[in-house]
Amino acid sequence: MTLRKIRLVVFFLATLGLPWSAATQTLYLYNWNNYIADATLRRFEERCHCRVKQDYYSDNEEMLAKLEAGAVGYDILVPTGNTVETLIRENALKPLDASKLPHLKNIKPEFLDPWYDRNNRFSVPYAYSISLIGYNADKLRELDLPTDSWALIFEPRYLERLRNKVTVLNSQKELMAAAMRYLGYSIQDRDMDKWDQAKRLILRAKSYWAAFSNSTYIKDLAIGNIWVAHGYSNDMFRAREDARAAKRPFEIGFTTPREGAVLAVDNMVLHKGARNTALAHQFMDFMLEGENSASLSNLIGAGNPNAEATRLISPEISGNVDIFPDAARFGRLEMIRDFDARERRILSRMWTQIKVK
Amino acid sequence: MRPNRSGMWIFALAVYAFLYIPLAVVVLFSFNDSELNAQWVGFTTRWYSVLWRDPDMLAAALNSLTIAVIASLAATVLGTMTALAVQRHAMAFLLPLALGPVALPEVLLGVSLLLFFRQVLDLTLGWGSILIAHMVFSIGAVAVIVNTQLVNMDESIFEAARDLGATPWKTLRFITLPIIAPAIAAGFLVAFTLSIDDFVITFFTAGVGVKTLPLQIYSMIKVAVTPEVNAVSTVLMAVTLTFIATAARIAPHAVNANANVARAKKKRGAP
Amino acid sequence: MLGPTMWDVTSMTEPTYPERLQKWVVSTPPIAFLVVFFLLPSLMMVGASFRYPGEFGGLSPLFRPAETVGDTGLTLESYRFFFGDMVFLWIIAKSFLIATLTTLLCLVMAYPLAMVIARSPRRQQELMVLLVVLPFASNFLVRIYAWIIILGPFDLLYTPVAVVVGMVYVHLPFMVLPLYTNLEKHDPLLLDAARDLGASAWQGFWRVTFPLSLPGVFSGSALVFIPVLGMFAIPELLGGTGDVLIGNLIKEQFLESRDWPFGSTLSIMLMLVVVAFAALSSRLARPRVSAP
Repeated sequence: MTLRKIRLVVFFLATLGLPWSAATQTLYLYNWNNYIADATLRRFEERCHCRVKQDYYSDNEEMLAKLEAGAVGYDILVPTGNTVETLIRENALKPLDASKLPHLKNIKPEFLDPWYDRNNRFSVPYAYSISLIGYNADKLRELDLPTDSWALIFEPRYLERLRNKVTVLNSQKELMAAAMRYLGYSIQDRDMDKWDQAKRLILRAKSYWAAFSNSTYIKDLAIGNIWVAHGYSNDMFRAREDARAAKRPFEIGFTTPREGAVLAVDNMVLHKGARNTALAHQFMDFMLEGENSASLSNLIGAGNPNAEATRLISPEISGNVDIFPDAARFGRLEMIRDFDARERRILSRMWTQIKVK
Repeated sequence: MRPNRSGMWIFALAVYAFLYIPLAVVVLFSFNDSELNAQWVGFTTRWYSVLWRDPDMLAAALNSLTIAVIASLAATVLGTMTALAVQRHAMAFLLPLALGPVALPEVLLGVSLLLFFRQVLDLTLGWGSILIAHMVFSIGAVAVIVNTQLVNMDESIFEAARDLGATPWKTLRFITLPIIAPAIAAGFLVAFTLSIDDFVITFFTAGVGVKTLPLQIYSMIKVAVTPEVNAVSTVLMAVTLTFIATAARIAPHAVNANANVARAKKKRGAP
Repeated sequence: MLGPTMWDVTSMTEPTYPERLQKWVVSTPPIAFLVVFFLLPSLMMVGASFRYPGEFGGLSPLFRPAETVGDTGLTLESYRFFFGDMVFLWIIAKSFLIATLTTLLCLVMAYPLAMVIARSPRRQQELMVLLVVLPFASNFLVRIYAWIIILGPFDLLYTPVAVVVGMVYVHLPFMVLPLYTNLEKHDPLLLDAARDLGASAWQGFWRVTFPLSLPGVFSGSALVFIPVLGMFAIPELLGGTGDVLIGNLIKEQFLESRDWPFGSTLSIMLMLVVVAFAALSSRLARPRVSAP
């Protein structure tokens, strides 16, 4: 009778042995959720005769936390600009070999040589998004509310009509940055008093909001449970598509607030523990090709720093100024930059206070 | 039947209903013809074929099952040993020690294990690290459950065994273990559910490339949890049901031994 | 009147060699395992609470060039921050409230169910226990999403009610199983004796069954109360902006702010409160021996 039990266990273990037979190389990618099209991965696997395995994170800090605790084995990471800077300062990256990246020339000049990685020694731009406001266009029209200002989520006189129908990002950097822009300050400002003002602004509005949400707002908007959400442009794009596909009686819109917003540029980098440097370079160059880069944008509505790709992106997306900002909007966007340890601590403690009060 | 008995039965059924209504939603929505899966749209079985053709999801499910079986078997053994040491050999300090991992916030346990594995043991994360981590938090649960049954055991049985010349090992094998068999089985079940569903600790201690189902599903969070996830949950429940029902049928002698001991007690005269 | 207890027995006879051997064989593996894989890592984290956060998060090296306080990299700064603002103790208190409420609800719901299972025929018992545990072979997140679907139309989402419902749902079997294993061992003759002596059904329960089941009650409560305190996923997914619990704060320290020392400090303070609580309640958990 124990024999049957043993046989069951052996059966399970044996079936697991099957995938281990491959002698091909494997590339380990540590990437955001849903940040690469499956079809693209398959195309790469065919071309290189290798396998690609992905692990996911939903937050830069989450990725850093795991790496800090000693997780190794990833070849490529896809951090946002400020995190690239942190990784460089932590000596966690291997420099890139530009000779292996001929398609780097496809990148638009304004995205090359960024402040977080001069001369692109360690990173290659991948995609970008804007943190903005998504909303139920029909509902907001009905309630006669503005859609182009952060006031929509910070001012009680508007929030009164939106009680429990608003969600905001569960991120200290994003939410406080939005508050700073609304107050008219730059998010690089190091004056902690200004950040304290931002904190008080948030506390004043907090009781009107339904929840802090990093991902469920996509669904909530598309169903109609939530009417206003603070989130990322590609997520709003998805919510809009989902609402249309489900034939909802309303349309989801999204707008970059006129006071300014956060621009997040994500980049491919090579982790110092990478085992397969050559293969990693191959992958990066592959993703710099127009067609492959474009497939991501077409899939999720991500902004694209690749000039060649932009030509291959559907005009509905590439023509949308809230995904591909025009010069005017671009001027109002700022990227998040990490402060030094002391200021970071002050800010994260402010965030704790925001959460608990 | 006394009147309050049937009242209790109705209440018990209500609790079962509470447990299973969300499950009914899970199973039902695995047939939902909507990628967003937030409201019912229509009936379809396509998500099961999507699941069948999704090697990542299937591998993750299989990993979860395997890890759960191995880790909970090991934890049951160690947890039972713990309870025995506490109750039969007066090592009371072991129970708080075993319960410690249960008491810690999972994030703390996960981070501390990861740090320990990497910086002290220099262990490459993978199957071993996940198994160890799962065992750590399951041992206490098993120990506590087995302990509650041991605590209530009548000491006179052990006395009688000793008088009749039984060695401690014979006592353990023929008296103690059969009597606490239900608790051991219950402990195994608890350890199994803790392991198969664990997210936080696995998140920190899983190596690159080893995916369990909770990790895999978490990675889909942003994209909205499609009905494929409901499908894999339904399948997992069906498999677990089969597995455990089979295992239960395989271990009838524990049940019989229990019944024998109970009968013997009665024969010696009602206490 | 009460039969000899285990302690009487061990004082009456010297443990023989086989008994001592069994003691070491049975206790060494779990002790070794727990010391290495639980005690040591935990002590590392206790130590972490006395250190500075690293420049980029995590932990700073233990011995820094003396630019900051002292020669060692040790500090009480995290603890000072903790005690400097009453709000952290308030959050711990709030989390305790939710945990207590969850445990009580679980107890009320699990007890009749456990009694029904314990009194059923043996074969049925296995099936009924299995049915209690089976929901948990599906996936945690999927079940929570099911609750989101169920609670949404009732406008209960993002409220404290949703958080409690989620907590109770996820922890119910951990209350049912210990209760069941305890109740299963109760001698039915005890209740018969009580009835013969004139007790009503309720008195029979309250004066006989319940006291005997206390070890099960406390095990179940421990398995529910303590994990609830550390949970963050349920408040995050089901709760509103005001439903932040200590588990969320701790998770944020490790995964967002990456202020590990403060995360450790929060955890240690939480543990201390739990230990104080447990010490208090273990006084009440002394088991009764069944009547001779």
